Amino acid sequence: MAVSTRRLQKELADIKRDGTPVGITLLSAEDFATWYLSVEVLGNTVYEGEKFALKFRFDGQYPISAPAVQFVVDDTYQAPVHPHVYSNGHICASILGSEWSPVLSVVSVCVTIQSMLASCKKKERPPDNDRYVSHAPENPKKTRWDFHDDKYVPSSPRRSTVSVLTISRRSV
Amino acid sequence: MGNSASSGRGHHEETVDFGYLTPQGIYTGPRDWNQSVVTQLIVQRKLAPFYRPLEDYEEDWDDDQILAARKELPEHEGGEGSSRAESVTSSSARGHAKKPSAAKEPSRHPEAAIYRGALECPICFLYYPPNINRSRCCDQAICTECFVQIKRADPTTTHLVSEPAACPYCVQENFGIVYTPPPWRTGLGSEGATPPSWPDSPKAASDAATNTSMKRRRKSFGHNDPDVVTVDMIHPDWEAKLAAVRAAVARRANRRIIMRQVGDRLIPVGVTSGRVHPIAPEEAGAETNEGGERGSRRSRRRQQNQELNQFLGSMGLGGQDLEELMVMEAMRLSLIEHEAQQRRQKEEEEKKQREEAAATAANGAAAPVPSAEESTALSTALAALSVSEAASQSASPALSAQPSEDTVSPPRSRTSTSSQARASSPSLLSPARASTDGGRRSGRSTPTSPFGTVGVALLGAASTANAVATPSPEHEPSDPIAETALPEHQSELTPAPIAGEPRVPAPPVIADDTPAIAEPSATQPTVDRPSLAASEHVTSSASSLTASSYDVLPSSPESSISDKPLLDDAPPTPVTEGAPSTAAAS
Repeated sequence: MAVSTRRLQKELADIKRDGTPVGITLLSAEDFATWYLSVEVLGNTVYEGEKFALKFRFDGQYPISAPAVQFVVDDTYQAPVHPHVYSNGHICASILGSEWSPVLSVVSVCVTIQSMLASCKKKERPPDNDRYVSHAPENPKKTRWDFHDDKYVPSSPRRSTVSVLTISRRSV
Repeated sequence: MGNSASSGRGHHEETVDFGYLTPQGIYTGPRDWNQSVVTQLIVQRKLAPFYRPLEDYEEDWDDDQILAARKELPEHEGGEGSSRAESVTSSSARGHAKKPSAAKEPSRHPEAAIYRGALECPICFLYYPPNINRSRCCDQAICTECFVQIKRADPTTTHLVSEPAACPYCVQENFGIVYTPPPWRTGLGSEGATPPSWPDSPKAASDAATNTSMKRRRKSFGHNDPDVVTVDMIHPDWEAKLAAVRAAVARRANRRIIMRQVGDRLIPVGVTSGRVHPIAPEEAGAETNEGGERGSRRSRRRQQNQELNQFLGSMGLGGQDLEELMVMEAMRLSLIEHEAQQRRQKEEEEKKQREEAAATAANGAAAPVPSAEESTALSTALAALSVSEAASQSASPALSAQPSEDTVSPPRSRTSTSSQARASSPSLLSPARASTDGGRRSGRSTPTSPFGTVGVALLGAASTANAVATPSPEHEPSDPIAETALPEHQSELTPAPIAGEPRVPAPPVIADDTPAIAEPSATQPTVDRPSLAASEHVTSSASSLTASSYDVLPSSPESSISDKPLLDDAPPTPVTEGAPSTAAAS
C-alpha cells in the first residue's frame, strides 16, 4: 500500500470522525487519487455567496510530494476571480509548490486557500492570466511557479533569450 | 529472547534495538539518500533505526494486539529499492499467510514492549516506539522513514541555488533531527551494553517506555551541533546536483546557433554544443553497439553519467536533445521561408547576370581575376547566435568571442563563366547568389534575420568581416570545389560544408579575435576551398562531440532541407561533403 493511500485513509477517517472546518465540505473522495472539496468564504468578503470546488490529485509519494490542487472550472463551479487564481483554476500558492510541507493535509490546504480568498480585497485575475492559460499544462504541478515576494508569476516553460549576432559586411 | 527480533524474518537481518537498518517499505519512491551514511548513523544511535510501524495503537493494547498491528513486512530488506512492485505483491501475499494470531508466543515480547507509549509520526501517520527522532528545532516527532525522504528542493534553471531543506513543522532552515536512544542496547553495537530487561507487566513496561521518552529536552539544537543529523548529511550529493544543474545551464548558455550571412539574410546552419568534455573510450565504443540509435551523439550522451542525467532530465535539463530539436525546427521553418524568397531573387538575378556577362564579353575585358575586395564584400558570414537560456548572464561572452572563428565560411570563386553551371549546382549557388546580390548593395549592413521573433544584434566587427571574407592562402588547394570566376568578376561564396561530420576534435572554444583566414591577397584569383578546419570550428565548440545531424543543418538551404518536421522523426540527413563536390563537377 502506497504511503499516500495510507495517509489519505487516515485523513479521510479523521474527516469523517471530526468533520471539516466551517465552510469546507468534502464533495467526493471515491479513491485515493482524486478528491473534491468545496470551499466557501464566510463573512463579509468579496466572495460572499460564492462557492468554489477544489480538486486534489495525489501521487504515490503524497505527502512527501505536494498534491496537485486547482479550482474546478465546469458547469457548476468557476474559479474565483483572484490575483493568484488563473481562470483555468490553477492556483499560484507557495504551499502548493516550494513551500509544501508533508505535515500539511488536505484540510489544511483548504483552510489556507479559504483564508487566501478571505483576505482578498479586489477581485481581479493575475496580470498574465491570458498568457498563462493559453499554454498552461493540464496539471498545475507541472508549472514552475516563481514565488517572488508577493508577486506570483508562473515562469514560462522555457525561458530563453535568443539574440542574434551578425557581422556587418563591409566593402574593402 | 533478545534475538527473537529476527524471528519474523525469513533471513538473517541485522538489527539495532529491534529496529532495522533499511526502510520498512512505507515509501516506494527512489531511495536517494546515502544508505551507508544512514546505516552508520543508526548503528551509532544518532538516528532511530527503521522500526516496523504499527498501523494503529491504543494505550491498553496487549502484546498480541501490538504485534498484530505491525505493518506488513516489505519484501527483503537490503534489496535496495530494486523491487517496488515485488514488495507490494509479496507483502499482500504474506498478508494472507500471516496468522491472525501471531499470539501463540510467550507472553512478553520485547518486540511488543518497545512499542509501549508509541507515538504517531505526523507525516506518515503510523505509530513508532517512543524513542523516535525529534526535530532539532521544534522537538516534533518524525520517523526515520519519513526523515530520509526529506531533502533539499532540487535546484532549477531559474533558481540556481540549493536551499537547505526546511523543517516541515516550523519551517526553520537546515532541518535536522536529534535522537535519544533507549537506555538499553541490542543488536549491532550492543556488545558489552546493558541487555534489555523488561518489566513483567505491560503496564510497567509502558511506564518505563514513557519514562524514557519523558526525559524530553526543551532546548533546540543548532544545525551543526554534533548530536544533530541533518538532511544534508544523509544526502551528501546535493552539491553534485547543484553543480550539475549549474553546468547544464552554463552549457546551454554557451550554446550558439551558427548563422551564415547570405546577402542580407542570416541562414542558420547549426547549433554548437556548449558541452565541453572529452569522450571516454568506453563511451565511444558503446556507441557502436547502438547502431539503430539515430544520433551517435545522442546515444553517447545518454550513457554519460546516467544518474545525473536522469536527474537533470527530470527537471527539463536533460540532454539538450529536445531543446535542440526545437531550435532546429525553428531554423528549418525559417529556412524554408527564406528559400522561397531566395528563389524569386535568384531568378531576377540570373537574368541580370546573363545580361552583364554578355556585356562583359562584348567588351573583351573578361579578366578571370576576381577582386579580393569584392569577394570580401560578398563573403558569407556566419554569425554566432548565442542562445542563452534562463540565465541571460552568459550572452555577452558568447557573443563577443565567437564570431571570428565561427564565421569562417570561406568564399569561393568560380571561374567558369556559365550560368548553366550555376544552374546545375543550385545547392551551392543559391545562397551564393543571394550573397552576390547582397554584396552589390554592400552599403546596407542590416541583415534581416530570418527569425521573426529573434532579437537581432548587429555587431560591427570589422575584423571578423575581414576574416570571413578574405580568401585564405592557408586553405588547401585540394578543395573539391572547382574555382571558377563569374564573368562579372564576382566571387561567389559557397557555404562551408558545415554539415559534414568533422570527427576531429577542435578546441572547445574559439575565442580568438584574429581573422581565421589570412589577410586578403588582393590578386588571388581563385579562392578557397571550403575550409574543413573552419567547419570544425564551427560545429564543435565542444571538442568531444562529433557533429550529428542534430547539430548541423544543411549548409545549403536548397540541398537538403527536410520537408519533414525535425521533431517528427529522424533528423534530416546531414549534408555531406558530397554537396561541394557536386559543384566541383560542374
